[in-house]
Amino acid sequence: MVKFDLDDKVLEVAEGTTIFQAALQAGLSIPHFCYHPAFAPEGSCRMCLVEIEGLPKLELSCSTVVREGMKVKTRSEKVVEARRSVLEFLLAEHPLDCPICDKAGECKLQDYYEDYGLYQSAFAEFKEKREKKVPLGKTQVLDRERCVLCTRCTRFLDQVTRTGELGIFERGNRSEVGIYDQTPVDNNYSGCLSEICPVGAITDTDFRFKTRAWFLEPGDSICPHCGRGCNITIEHVPGFPRVPGSRRVYRIKSRPNAEVNGHWMCDVGRYNYAFLDTGRQERIMMKDRGWGVEPAWDSVIRFLAAQLTSLVSGEARGRVGVMASAHLTNEELFLMKRMFLQDMGIRKIFLIDPREGAPDGFLLTAERVPNTRGATEIGLKCGLPDLTGLAGGLDLLILFGTDLFERFEPDETKALLETVGIKVLFTSRQGPGNDAMDIVLPATPAAEKAGSFTNLKGRVQSFVPVRTACGEALAEWIVLVRLAVELKLDPGFYEGLTNVEDIRAALARDVLFFGPRS
Amino acid sequence: MADMILTQNFGLESLKTLKGYTALGGYRAAAKALKEMTPAQVLEEVKKSGLRGRGGAGFPAGLKWSFVPAKTDKRIYLCINADEGEPGTFKDRFIMSRNPHAVIEGAVITSYAVGIHTAYVYIRGEYETVARVLEEAIGEAYGGGYLGRGILGTDFFLELTLHRGAGSYICGEETALLDSLEGKRGWPRLKPPFPAVVGLFGSPTVINNVETMANIPAIILHGSDHFRQVGLPRDSGTRLFGVSGPVRKPGLYELPVGVSLRELIFEHAGGLKDGRTLKAVIPGGLSAPVLTAAEVDIALDLDSLARAGSMLGSAAVIVIDEETPILAVLKKVTGFFAHESCGQCTPCRLGTAWMDKVVTRMEEGHGERGDLDTLLRLAAGIKGRTLCPMGDAAALPVLALVQKFRPELEAGLT
Repeated sequence: MVKFDLDDKVLEVAEGTTIFQAALQAGLSIPHFCYHPAFAPEGSCRMCLVEIEGLPKLELSCSTVVREGMKVKTRSEKVVEARRSVLEFLLAEHPLDCPICDKAGECKLQDYYEDYGLYQSAFAEFKEKREKKVPLGKTQVLDRERCVLCTRCTRFLDQVTRTGELGIFERGNRSEVGIYDQTPVDNNYSGCLSEICPVGAITDTDFRFKTRAWFLEPGDSICPHCGRGCNITIEHVPGFPRVPGSRRVYRIKSRPNAEVNGHWMCDVGRYNYAFLDTGRQERIMMKDRGWGVEPAWDSVIRFLAAQLTSLVSGEARGRVGVMASAHLTNEELFLMKRMFLQDMGIRKIFLIDPREGAPDGFLLTAERVPNTRGATEIGLKCGLPDLTGLAGGLDLLILFGTDLFERFEPDETKALLETVGIKVLFTSRQGPGNDAMDIVLPATPAAEKAGSFTNLKGRVQSFVPVRTACGEALAEWIVLVRLAVELKLDPGFYEGLTNVEDIRAALARDVLFFGPRS
Repeated sequence: MADMILTQNFGLESLKTLKGYTALGGYRAAAKALKEMTPAQVLEEVKKSGLRGRGGAGFPAGLKWSFVPAKTDKRIYLCINADEGEPGTFKDRFIMSRNPHAVIEGAVITSYAVGIHTAYVYIRGEYETVARVLEEAIGEAYGGGYLGRGILGTDFFLELTLHRGAGSYICGEETALLDSLEGKRGWPRLKPPFPAVVGLFGSPTVINNVETMANIPAIILHGSDHFRQVGLPRDSGTRLFGVSGPVRKPGLYELPVGVSLRELIFEHAGGLKDGRTLKAVIPGGLSAPVLTAAEVDIALDLDSLARAGSMLGSAAVIVIDEETPILAVLKKVTGFFAHESCGQCTPCRLGTAWMDKVVTRMEEGHGERGDLDTLLRLAAGIKGRTLCPMGDAAALPVLALVQKFRPELEAGLT
C-alpha cells in the first residue's frame, strides 16, 4: 500500500495505482476525455492534468502512478486554469450545436464547460467547416465538427474487436477520424462506438433525433438474448406512453461487469428491444368454447386449477403436457418443475431447445436464450419433443413463452394442436401461434419482472423490474404461485412464497448449485 | 583547422567511398573498440568524453546508452535519427552525404558497446540524394566486412538498415520516429516508459542523432581526454553550426562548443551582407526562442543558451536583419508548427492552428489590439502541457518573438 495526499486528504491505495484511479476510489472523477478504464492511458486530451508538489509542470493523472508521500492537487488554481485552457481550445473549433445534438445532457464537453468554461469565447477566427454526417457503417454516424480526437473509437476497434476499421487521417487541426479502404464498421459491436464517444461526434442512427437523454430513466437489467448474460441498462420513458403506440424503451446500454462483459455488449443485444413495446400480448384472450370462464386472471386460474385437478386425480396426468423454454428465470423454472413434476407427477414436461445462432467469438454465444445453464442445473434438459408422437395423447397443453409454430413445421404443429382438448399459452407477445390457442395469457419479459438467470459460465445474476408490466401482463412466477395455491398443492410451501426472494431461497435449499457458495 | 572532428576532410570527394575513408584512418576506431576494448570500456570512454546529444535535447550520450537494461532477453535496437526536420538545420545532411562512413563506424562502435545487432537509420523522406549516398556507403561497408557477420574479423555482427521517412516533422521526435519505423502513424508515445527500456517493437532502444554517431569514432580513436580538450567541460567537442540568413558566407561551420554567437556571425560567416544590420538571431533552429541583436554576446553551448531562455537545439543559427519584419518571422513559426502538429494532443493540435489563424490575419492587415495578448495566452496554454516536446517548440518561439518585439508588432495593429 502507498500513502499519499489528494487535495490535502491522506489516501492509501494499492501500489501501482494511478492518481486518476486513486481519485476515483475516493469518489472523485478527474475530468477526462481520452481516458477509458478499458484501455491503457492515452494522455492526449490533456484534460486530466493535476499538480504534484515539487514538479514544475502539471502531470497526467491518468498515467502517473502514485508514489509514497506524493502531494497531489486536483483543484488548485493552476489545474483549473489548465482545464479551462484545454476546454477553450476544444470549444474554439466546436460547432456549439448542443440544442440539436443527441449527446446533450450526457456529454463530457458540455458537463466540463458548465464547470470550467470561460463562457465568453475569445476565438475571433473562422471555424473550420467539417463534414457533419459521415456514415461509419452499420448504425454509427460521425460528426467531425464535434470530434475531440480522443481516439477511443479507433482504440476500441483496434484493441477490442481487432477489426481496425477506423483510423486517424491527416494531421494537426486537419486530423480526422475516418474509414480505412472504404471498409465501413460492420462488426457486432458497432453500437459500442457511440457509447464510448465522450462527446456528440459518434451518434447512433437507432437513437438519434428520437428523444432527449434527460427524458429517459435508466434501469439495470440482464440481456436476455444469449447465454452470456451481459449486464445492461435499459433506458426508457417512465410510466405509460402518452401517445398510443409510441415506444417506451429508447436505448439499451452496456453496464460494466469485469466478470461478464467488461464494458461492452453486442449489437444483437443492444438493438433487439422493439419486442418490449410492439406486438405485445396485453390482454387475456379466450376463445368461446362454452366453458363460461371470464377473461380475468382469477377465473382463468380457477379454471386451470379445476382442469388440472380433474386430470391428475383421475389418474390422467399423462394427458397433461407442459412446454417451456430457457427464457424463464431460475425461479420460474424451479417452480414449474416442483409443481408439475414433483407435486402433480406430470411427466410430459419439455424444455423446447431454442434455435442456435452463430457465436461471434467474443460475447455473443450460440445459445440465444438466457437461461440454458439455469435450466440444466435445476434438472430440466432442453430437447425437442416428438409432436407427432404426442398427438392424440393430450387433453391439456400449457405453453410458457413457446410458440410452437416458430420452432416446428406448421403441419406437424397443427396436427398436434387439433388433438389437444385445452391449449393454454403464456406469452408476452403476439405470434403466429396465438390464434391456435384456447387461452392466451399475457406474460412479462425480463425487463418487467424480478428473477435471475444463470449464464453459461454458471454465474447467477438477479434483476428487478425496470418498468411496470404491460397491460394485464403478470410475471409467470406470480401466476405459478397463484395456481399452486389454488391447487392446494403444498400449502405450507406455496402460501409462503410472496416474492421472488422467497422462491430463490427455496431454490437455494433445494438445488445445491444455487445454494450458498463457499 | 585542428579542432575539426567531422568536417576536416569534407572537401575530399573520395571520403564518401570506403577506400577513401579507410585511407584517412577510417574504421581504425571500430577496430580498436572491437579488438582491444570491452563493451564496458567503450561505454565508459563515451561517458567520460562529455559528449552530449546533437539532436537538440543535449542529453549525455553515454548516460543514455547506460539506461538500457543490463539484463534483457529482448533484442536491443539502435535507431539513428536522421530526420533532421528542424527548419534552418542542414548539418546531418552534410555529414551523411560527405562523410557517411563516420556515421556507420559510430553505429558499429555504439552497437558493440550496448550489445546491439540490429540498427536503423531513419532518414527524412526529402533527403533522397543523401539517402542514396548513405545507402551506397552501407553497401560498401557490408562488402568490406564492416557490417554484417564477423565484423573486422571478430565475431561481432550488426545489421544496419536505412529507412526513409515520409516527410513529417514530428517523426524527428524519437518516439514518433519509433512508431513510424514500426509502420504506424508517426505519433509521439506517452513517456514513461522511455525508449531505452521500451522502444522499437517494444524492445530496449538507443536513439542517437547522426552527428552524435559521427563523433563516436574520434572519441574511441583518440580517447575521451583528447576529445574533451575541445569545447567545454560539461559540453565538449565541436558542433556543426548551420548559419543561414543575410550573412556574407552562409553555410556549415564546425566550431568548438562555446564559441560566441557574435564570433560565429561576424567572423566565420562574414557578418551581414549588403550593409544590412542585425536585428535578431534564432540560435538553434526555428523552435529556439529568438535572441535580439543586443543578446549576441553569448556562448553557443547548451547551458548558456538555456540560461538565456533560449536553446542551442540543432545549432541551426538563423540570422534576421532589420529589413525582415518580425511579423514575417512569426508567421513562419506559427505556419510551420500548425502544419506539422501531429494532431494527437489537444493544446498542440488546436493551439497551433489558432495561433496561426491570428498571425495570418495580422499579416493580411486585419490585426487587432488584443491579438498579441491572445497569442501570449494561447502559447502559455500550450507550453508545458503537451504530450511531446513539440508543444514547447511551437509555443516558446511565439512567446519570445511577441515579448521581445512587441512595439514593432503592435505598430502593425489597428
